[in-house]
Amino acid sequence: MTTNIDNIPSSEIYDVIIVGSGITGGWAAKEFCEKGLKTLMVERGRPVEHRKDYIGEGVKTWQQPYRGKVAQNLVETQHHVQQQCYAFNDSTKHFFNNDQDYPYSTSEGTKFSWIRGNQLGGKSLLWHRQSYRWSDLDFEANSKDGFGTEWPIRYKDLEPWYDYVETHVGISGSKEGIPQLPDSQFIEAFEFNSVEKRIKENLEKIYDDRKLIMGRCAHLTKPAEHHVKQGRGPCMARNECQKGCSFGAYFSTQSSTLPAAQKTDNLTVATNSIVHSVIYDEKSKRATGVRVIDCETMATREYYGKIVFLCASTLGTTQIMLNSVSKTFPNGIANSSGVLGHYLTDHCYNAGATADIPGFEDEYYSGRRPTSLYIPRFQNILDKNPKFLRGYAFSGEAYREPWWEFNNKPGFGVDFKNNIKQGGGWKFRVHASGEMLPRYENSVKLHATKKDKWGIPQLHFNCGYSENEKSMMEHAAQSAAEMFKALGFKNIHAYTKDDPMGLVIHEMGTARMGLDPETSVLNGNNQCHDVANLFVTDGACMASSAWQNPSLTYMALTARACDFAVKELKAGRL
Amino acid sequence: MMKTKSDSQQQVPSQADLSRRSLVKGLALMFGGLLPASSLALAAQGYQGQADTLNRAGHLLSAKQLTLLKRLVDLIIPATDTPSAGALDVHGFIDNQLKHCFDKNSQNLFIAGLDKLERICRQMNGQAFSEVNTDAQVALLVAAEAGGKPCNVDDKAFFYQLKTLTLLGYYTSEVGATEELSYLAIPGGYRGDVPFAQVGKAWSLN
Ligand SMILES: Cc1cc2nc3c(=O)[nH]c(=O)nc-3n(C[C@H](O)[C@H](O)[C@H](O)COP(=O)(O)OP(=O)(O)OC[C@H]3O[C@@H](n4cnc5c(N)ncnc54)[C@H](O)[C@@H]3O)c2cc1C
Repeated sequence: MTTNIDNIPSSEIYDVIIVGSGITGGWAAKEFCEKGLKTLMVERGRPVEHRKDYIGEGVKTWQQPYRGKVAQNLVETQHHVQQQCYAFNDSTKHFFNNDQDYPYSTSEGTKFSWIRGNQLGGKSLLWHRQSYRWSDLDFEANSKDGFGTEWPIRYKDLEPWYDYVETHVGISGSKEGIPQLPDSQFIEAFEFNSVEKRIKENLEKIYDDRKLIMGRCAHLTKPAEHHVKQGRGPCMARNECQKGCSFGAYFSTQSSTLPAAQKTDNLTVATNSIVHSVIYDEKSKRATGVRVIDCETMATREYYGKIVFLCASTLGTTQIMLNSVSKTFPNGIANSSGVLGHYLTDHCYNAGATADIPGFEDEYYSGRRPTSLYIPRFQNILDKNPKFLRGYAFSGEAYREPWWEFNNKPGFGVDFKNNIKQGGGWKFRVHASGEMLPRYENSVKLHATKKDKWGIPQLHFNCGYSENEKSMMEHAAQSAAEMFKALGFKNIHAYTKDDPMGLVIHEMGTARMGLDPETSVLNGNNQCHDVANLFVTDGACMASSAWQNPSLTYMALTARACDFAVKELKAGRL
Repeated sequence: MMKTKSDSQQQVPSQADLSRRSLVKGLALMFGGLLPASSLALAAQGYQGQADTLNRAGHLLSAKQLTLLKRLVDLIIPATDTPSAGALDVHGFIDNQLKHCFDKNSQNLFIAGLDKLERICRQMNGQAFSEVNTDAQVALLVAAEAGGKPCNVDDKAFFYQLKTLTLLGYYTSEVGATEELSYLAIPGGYRGDVPFAQVGKAWSLN
């Protein structure tokens, strides 16, 4: 492998060019390299080396200049958007992009918070690792209620691919047999704490429509031999994952897919290489490569490949496609349908509740569990809620109030100090994770005049949550409060809030799959209807958002699309 | 009794704990010395408590304001078998934090809150905050926290900010995190049913 772009001869024709090195690009690289294809991975950001470049890892709070906070002038000048993300702090800030270099605009009266990690590894370094399968409840939702277009695939098409990626990644969780949340290939789940165990028992006694399960996540609780061979070790329960993990205990490009791809000698990586657009050949009706601008020198160059995989994140890919104009595609490559950039969704996490759990002062836990509990969706499954379509899950946990929550408690002095030391009371909190309806109006396009410093047109957003999401969040707040009451909790505080789209960082849908080339960009194999050798396997392909965290599904779709593309290549069709 | 640092890293090692600890140590070595070289550079810049903050002005606060602030943080987190907030220079930390992590408006509000507390004290007692007895000091802070007379909502907001910063400064310091509370840099795994008595003190990281 080389990361020195000067060494990469531009004239070489790769079997495949992958744009992006995050969760989906990493998977594409691993799959193609292992299948023997000469692969070029093009990444706009800087190289990040596993372990060596985790500069925030292991730094103690008292060693940090501002004890974890980021200096105000840095926030104002470079991170005014990124700082809205819960994971942004002094130990992680270098994995979030510099907002000054990555401008975008929004229509008047609308908001979108675009959280990005533009570096080798993309957001795989930053993600929260929650990993859930989707089910046919999700793949059939569009055709049942008429929002969005019919998904060209069903659960059975993805099932073997879920199995496949999960085995490599290592998903910790418990077998539950919940129809709307199919079980994964699990390694050992994290433990409940003793208070959570009681809550689970009570909750499942009171409600026969819901279960409280351990959050499924891409962490090696008990690494299998093939994980150890990847160079990965067990989770140490530090819960400081976003700083980078030298144990390789959580799945990232660096810990998992990149080393697998590198092992093959088929991978070339070009970092600091911004894909400006995809090159389209009118004669062959094929993509022949990508135009690149060097992030540092502004030099331009082209790379050529037989297949192009766009894995630049939902919005990154959409920007590239919209900017790839030609005679055939004046509005963006493979956009004869005109839906490219439309049907943008995120999830909606704008409701939740907290409460006190009386008692259990003698009980505690040890270690910092990097996942929480999960109550899978229980609405609109057999019943039909009159107020909203689709549904939400809850994430939550029971914990003892740490010192930083004592600023909300009255008092000070010796008793106050001793109370903190004795461990605060037990609390329970949940937040809703709701599905967002795919709607044409929620869209991005290229700004007519504004460009970034590399001369690439900026994305312009026009989107927001609709009444359906708002009603769903009200329902979630209410149902959380009811649940807490039934469980005997005290000081119940349920809330809804008004966070803008983007902050859940599950953006999807802007180059959707569909059966009909006139109303969708991709077919069921993530292949552009209009350009046979151009594929999109990041979240842009999703025809709806479901309610589960999406990245595991992106992984399965990517591996499946790679398999399809190689077969097509071998059959001489690409 | 004050525990030494290494003591507090090793609270109540049960047999299982000990074997887990050596496992963790082995893994840490195997996975290549968990502290990347460059993080040491970061560490060097960490705010370090200064012994003599009171003899000079801070970044934002005058020597006088710092003296008042030291007394306030000591009232919030006094000495027990571990040092008080003032003894760990939490007032100096707050000055530094205000300067670097707050906008002008919040800085001004904090300084105004500090000055106002001093003014109220003089109006009520005819003496500076540092001159009145502890009972009077505490009474004034109780009023500030509640926003009741002779204080108001502004003082309440100021006290909340002061308390938040005091807790941050104290419990993220090495003494606060590892001696006053329990701390494990690398827990080695999560266990969900540990008696509180076995840990003995709240975790500084949850
Ligand atoms: C704090 C946080 C928590 C999250 N938690 C979860 C979770 O619990 N579960 C879950 O499923 N998901 C979670 N996500 C979302 C998850 O990170 C993304 O879904 C996932 O990373 C998407 O993978 P991707 O490959 O499409 O994009 P990315 O991982 O973002 O990678 C895209 C890459 O493409 C590069 N790129 C972009 N444009 C160009 C260009 N023009 N030229 C060249 N390269 C380009 C980028 O620099 C980047 O490296 C979270 C995200 C964040 C930030």
